[in-house]
Amino acid sequence: MLDALPYRLATIAVLVALFAIPLVVHDDYYLHLFIVSGIFAAAVVGLDLIVGYVGQLSLAHAAFFAMGAYTSALLFIRLHWSMWLGLPAAALLVGVVAIVLGSIILRTRGHRFIIITVVFAELMRLVATNWVDMTRGFMGLPGLVVPPLVLPGIGAIDLTSKSRFYYVVLVAAIVAFVICRVIVRSSIGRKFVLIRENEPLAESLGISAFRYSMIAFAVGAAIAGAAGSLYAHYVGFVSPDLFNFSYVTIMLIMVILGGKGTLVGPALGAVIFTFLPEFLREASHWRMITFAAILIAATLFMPKGIVFPLLTHLLPRERRLRNARAA
Amino acid sequence: MSPTITILAQHLLNGVLIGCAYALIAMGLTMIFGVMNIANFAHGEFYMLGGFVAFYLVSLMRLDYFVALPLAVAVVVALAVVLQHSIFRRLREAPVMTTTLVTIGLSIFLENAALLLWGPQPQSIPTPFPPKPLSFLGVYTTPLYLFCMAVTAALIVVGHVLIRRTRMGKAMRATFQNKEASALVGIRIDRIYAYAFAFGAALAAAAGAVLGGFIPVEPASGGVITLKAFIVVILGGMGSFVGAIVGGLLLGLAEALGAGYLPNGWKDAIGFFAVILVLLLRPEGLFKRA
Repeated sequence: MLDALPYRLATIAVLVALFAIPLVVHDDYYLHLFIVSGIFAAAVVGLDLIVGYVGQLSLAHAAFFAMGAYTSALLFIRLHWSMWLGLPAAALLVGVVAIVLGSIILRTRGHRFIIITVVFAELMRLVATNWVDMTRGFMGLPGLVVPPLVLPGIGAIDLTSKSRFYYVVLVAAIVAFVICRVIVRSSIGRKFVLIRENEPLAESLGISAFRYSMIAFAVGAAIAGAAGSLYAHYVGFVSPDLFNFSYVTIMLIMVILGGKGTLVGPALGAVIFTFLPEFLREASHWRMITFAAILIAATLFMPKGIVFPLLTHLLPRERRLRNARAA
Repeated sequence: MSPTITILAQHLLNGVLIGCAYALIAMGLTMIFGVMNIANFAHGEFYMLGGFVAFYLVSLMRLDYFVALPLAVAVVVALAVVLQHSIFRRLREAPVMTTTLVTIGLSIFLENAALLLWGPQPQSIPTPFPPKPLSFLGVYTTPLYLFCMAVTAALIVVGHVLIRRTRMGKAMRATFQNKEASALVGIRIDRIYAYAFAFGAALAAAAGAVLGGFIPVEPASGGVITLKAFIVVILGGMGSFVGAIVGGLLLGLAEALGAGYLPNGWKDAIGFFAVILVLLLRPEGLFKRA
């Protein structure tokens, strides 16, 4: 979609704007919201692979995020690995866990798959809570820090300020987005969509639904693990609360309302649904009720989401038609 | 009896009640799943609401305990009818992802509505039973416990008879097996949907109202109960009533033994491990469908 010149220019403009945010926004509170948005954006584009492209509803994604956070935190506290080692380790470990889990559950589809993912997430929460010797249980693991970036020839750059850490998150989110985009634009991505739309047809063409679902599931999980690692070091503390069901709910809201199967939509959804709850802080009791109502209404009446359809309305008419045909 | 056996018997007795409750809740869940093809993530909320409404009626409206229990079930069933007409009716023939997302949304909605109405603190329903424990061969229990156990066991039997022996139950089972064929022989599918949903909600609400005197109910209880009921349904085989009953009892007993013999906090993990094992060894569940 973004091949023609105007769209390249628009992409560049968006990137410039994203990189300029800390130059314009000096308020730490808003920078904090942008950082959290970026971390969630990375996590939910990974979720979009499995939910939006392969069409399987995974409720384990927030657990993968939390496992990444715990992996990175434990490596830091027990072995003194900095985030630069902890983050790839978290992505790798969570990806491997997803492959093991996937080899059991990706042979099932539909209800059973969904239920097992939520059962798995709950089991991980129990492990984080009850394996006190390793995880300190409810007390959580405090004292995580953001490491400086050491560049040869330049020396160590301190990243602890919010305006600097924002760039770490931004780069990570862009990398996650690009990885997912390359996958969905490749022949692999077309097989994802075929599996979603007509699995028997895909199988009859020799496309293994199991194998391709596994790719989406494992890559998505690894990205969630990396995002969790960033989150752990940014917040400085992990606890079993990270496994709360509300995290997976909010991630799903970002994907569904953003527009599943579009990557851009969920990423924007992550920004909107990080800021929106903050503005609704006054009515915190009503917040979850409102969210739940929005989720129900959007699922029933706007299955394509809200953000992405609005976005495509900005496109010229002929392109919109082409996109509609492609979708 | 030797102390080891007495303790074992005590744990098993403790497991029977919760097992009966799991069975009741899972029967409704499996019914809704089988008839409507919906994995109802809001099912545990019917349990929670049953408990809260019973609590409200007994301790705030000063209603008699034995009047309040059926009344609480009636209130929850009324809510279920409203939900069925407003939301679940639209989910017929909808994709799995849609139905699941909607019921997840509904679960969050109901949990937070309960939070607004009743606050976060766990509440116990006051009961007219004397708190004095009864002892039999060294195994202790209370009159309330025996009452709860009798009611849940009786409800399981009633539910089973309704499904097995009545015309409506037969129509439900027929819809379960083949929707088109049932519609063809004159079964009103939309009505079956409504009845199945109300039936499931009633069983869950009854479990909540009865257990509320024993296990304090809080807005967050629904989520846990939903998970446990799903575990039972997968263990027993999705759509199997016998599986739901046997699976519920087994999970209840296993958890009670886990509470007795495993390190603190791990009893809840038993069901999750069991599900993964069953999925590996016998993916269709312990019992076949219908």
